[in-house]
Amino acid sequence: MEKVKVMIVDDSRVSATMLQDILSKTNFEVCAVARTAAEALELYKRNRPAVVTMDMNLPDANGIVCSAKIHEEDPKANIVMISAMKDASLITQGREAGISAFLQKPVSTNELLDTLMLLTQERVGKLALLRDSYVKSFMRAMQDSLKDLAGLASTAQIEVSNSNYIEVDGVSVILGLTGKPMGRAVVYMDMDMARRFTAAMLHSELADISEEEANDSVEEASNIIVGRGVSIINDIFKDREMRITPPGTICGQHIRIVNMKLTSFTVTARTEAGTVYMNIGFAEEK
Amino acid sequence: MDAKLVNPFVDALKTVLPQMGFPEPERKAIGVKAKTASSLGVSVIVGFTKSIRGNVVYNMSEDTAKFIASTMMMGMPVDEFNDMAQSAISEMSNMLTANAATNLAGMGFEVDISTPSMTIGENFQIKISDDQYLTVGMDIGGHELEIDIAVSTQ
Repeated sequence: MEKVKVMIVDDSRVSATMLQDILSKTNFEVCAVARTAAEALELYKRNRPAVVTMDMNLPDANGIVCSAKIHEEDPKANIVMISAMKDASLITQGREAGISAFLQKPVSTNELLDTLMLLTQERVGKLALLRDSYVKSFMRAMQDSLKDLAGLASTAQIEVSNSNYIEVDGVSVILGLTGKPMGRAVVYMDMDMARRFTAAMLHSELADISEEEANDSVEEASNIIVGRGVSIINDIFKDREMRITPPGTICGQHIRIVNMKLTSFTVTARTEAGTVYMNIGFAEEK
Repeated sequence: MDAKLVNPFVDALKTVLPQMGFPEPERKAIGVKAKTASSLGVSVIVGFTKSIRGNVVYNMSEDTAKFIASTMMMGMPVDEFNDMAQSAISEMSNMLTANAATNLAGMGFEVDISTPSMTIGENFQIKISDDQYLTVGMDIGGHELEIDIAVSTQ
């Protein structure tokens, strides 16, 4: 089961630790703790948590102002206010700032978990569906292809990508996915791995592999990996008619590929030659 | 590579951009290049497939991207190429390609388009064809937008 990321905003270490203790035994994972409103906004952007717990009194702003700012950054943000006081005016102002639920300190374990579950259910349900139905097929295609093409055994894992972009160095191959769901796949690796992978595929010495040859071979391999993934999916779901668009290959250092409005997952496959990554992003269903 | 495939994309630009408050785009250079394009800083790739398969790249500098984003947001100043500006550029690429797809259908080529992939960085290369691709320079109010189009032969 995927861990669900929670960010705690609380300037009191006692309260923050209490919440962390409760969540540590669950499927929720505390990805960040912010002590001020400014820190909260910064950490929200960086971590994109599924849900935020918000204290009312922060050193630089109150929790309602801070929630409004987070909501401005991400209108879909899930925020739970946990405050010492809870009255009608706080709830009215809080709702306007985009706060979804209100709990009173000290918060009981069950109450907290029920609220967090309720708020994140839709997202967790959607992620589980995408991961189990689609991303696992792409992971299988990647592991089988690494073995067939280059004789590389791998251990692989899937993670939900919470960042707005992926940062890549080396070779990245972008393949669009059309049909249902729409999206795109990016297979990427650093240049050293690209050359080692190519040498293994071509049964050649590493020294004989030029950068251009490595780019072309990685492109071809990526096309095969993603194509196989789509075939597995089309075999399982007869009505999807997923197709891939031709590869676009990006080569360079410190490049950001932006996950614009995509729900995306990163598959990491570790082999003895190095690591191959694949990011699969799905567009929101319209 | 058939040069007449440029027209659906140029026409899309000329139809869509003035509707969003841009000055009439002018076609400048047109040419055929081999294999690899150099990014100008911000490059959005949109793939298409069905009766013909290929990719289109909207290639621009960050300054041009900020100008386009600002115009799309009713002249709101865009000092930084942030999430909102990136979202505007991505949306524009999607609209232009969807419009081009309609134009292609009119020529008898039915295509489905993928979601746009925006890539940002300095000095990177983009390869969209094993062979050749068409490139068109468009001038939009003094800003340059390069469109690279490749149709795959397989």
